[in-house]
Amino acid sequence: MNSFQEPAADAARNVILVMRTDPESDPKDNSRKSDEFSELVKALNDKVTDIIVQARYPDRKYNVGSGKAKEIAIAARDKRANRIIFYDPLSTSQIYNLSKLCGEAGANCRVMDRFQLILDIFAERATTHRSKLQVELARLRYELPNARMLVSLSKKEERAGWGGLGDYEDSYEQDIKKRIARINAELKKADLEEEARRVYRHKNGFFIVSLAGYTNAGKSTLFNALVDERTESKDMFFTTLIPKTRAFVINKRKILLTDTVGFIEDLPHFLVDAFRSTLEGIYFSDMILLVVDFSEPAEHIRKKLMISHETLWEKSTSNIVTVLNKSETMKPADRKKKFEELSHLIYNPIFISAKTGAGLSELIDEIGMNLPPLATRTISLPNNEHGASALSWFYDNGLVEEILYGKYMTFEFSAAEDVMAKADDILSKVRYSPDYN
Amino acid sequence: MFTIIAVDISGRHRIDAGYYMVCAAASLEITPASLEKVNEITSDAFLFGKPPELPDIVRIIETTTSKIKKKGPLITERGELFNLDENLSKALFSQEIRYQESIGERKAIELVHYVSLSTRNLLLRETGMNITAGEENTKEEEDP
Repeated sequence: MNSFQEPAADAARNVILVMRTDPESDPKDNSRKSDEFSELVKALNDKVTDIIVQARYPDRKYNVGSGKAKEIAIAARDKRANRIIFYDPLSTSQIYNLSKLCGEAGANCRVMDRFQLILDIFAERATTHRSKLQVELARLRYELPNARMLVSLSKKEERAGWGGLGDYEDSYEQDIKKRIARINAELKKADLEEEARRVYRHKNGFFIVSLAGYTNAGKSTLFNALVDERTESKDMFFTTLIPKTRAFVINKRKILLTDTVGFIEDLPHFLVDAFRSTLEGIYFSDMILLVVDFSEPAEHIRKKLMISHETLWEKSTSNIVTVLNKSETMKPADRKKKFEELSHLIYNPIFISAKTGAGLSELIDEIGMNLPPLATRTISLPNNEHGASALSWFYDNGLVEEILYGKYMTFEFSAAEDVMAKADDILSKVRYSPDYN
Repeated sequence: MFTIIAVDISGRHRIDAGYYMVCAAASLEITPASLEKVNEITSDAFLFGKPPELPDIVRIIETTTSKIKKKGPLITERGELFNLDENLSKALFSQEIRYQESIGERKAIELVHYVSLSTRNLLLRETGMNITAGEENTKEEEDP
């Protein structure tokens, strides 16, 4: 259908963005959406050559009006655009009509919508087998409802089968359905492994903290600051696609911190479905650090917090701390005013600057205060080979303090309830060992 | 903590007796992530012969929430007001109204939804309302 030539993968593409807005919609909201749309394009290192906006209700044939569609096609030719990206979701026939119009105007470009752009970003960032499967699943789910129309438009002139009585539509749709079923089965297997890992971590007394928030809020920068690591963090949307987990220590206790994929407004449901297992990592953590870029205008923060709350509210029962990042860039009076304006959306607030490190100690204290209380008991082990081996297990799974060496090794052991139950098994094994006296 | 009034309407579909709707409103103390206290709950039933339009919904919400003593901003689902833009919806009410935003507000809406739904089911059973009466028995509007 689109007989265009895309430039080489490493070459920057020229992109024209098209935003259709409803006539009575809020202009501030539209400008925020437009800025975010441009940022999304930058995530693929593409160059925005023009932004075309039209205030009207959607047109069935082109989404925008027919005159505006012609204007877009001419602009694409004049500015040598490689892609025209619409903010609104486009139907297959709208893409076909717009591509045809561009072809007639002499432009060599691909027409796509914002969902396809997000899919492209995800496809570029996906590096693990699991994330590649998730992206492919999302792409197939996006294609499925349009599959019949896509085939009938592209094979308009020909008929399949003997005498032209067959058709291509069913077989293409069936192929997609089969592929979706196969990927689902494979992902289910991968999800079981992930779930087993999560259960293992909980059972072993790890406290799991997840970083959540809107895309480009500074989650990866905070992750790096907390675990002292160099995870890639850029001023770009969707830098993190594959969750990363690292351990760090607070009050001598091991904590697992997970950096996750960011939320975005109007995220299509097929994408949410495909990345459900990734989001479940957030839902089942013990604590969520909801990161917000507090340097943005209050209205933008409100929208972004609203989307984050919407994503979290149904499934998450974790304790939430709202981390107000990039707060060093503001005057205290502005900060106070903005905070009061948004207080109905900010729970357990902590002001930080992940870049300069300001406020990190308060955040660490807050995480420390939320750690579940530990059970403590005095344990005695024989001072022999079996006892030493058991002692090493106690060191690995909890806090060992005030150890006294004599005929027995006596110490105070503190750990989570689940670990304490396991400690009894270890002790009974030592007691029944042949040289226990 | 904030005081809000959460509102929900159940039964906006047609049954044989017409459009039998129950509106529930609750004054609640909430935090951005949780419900802390329920101050008071009220509900009202309405029967319409024709599909409710925006002014009808506004009247239903205003009538029900007027009975609540502890005031606060009204919180409702966007769909309740036909997905009307928030700025436009504010102009229709005599008190402050907002669509749900935080987790606490979403939980509040969930709570009043259960109240309105179960009240409607109970009223249908208790009043013995003839829900299979057909078009000719429908009245323009009444409190059962």
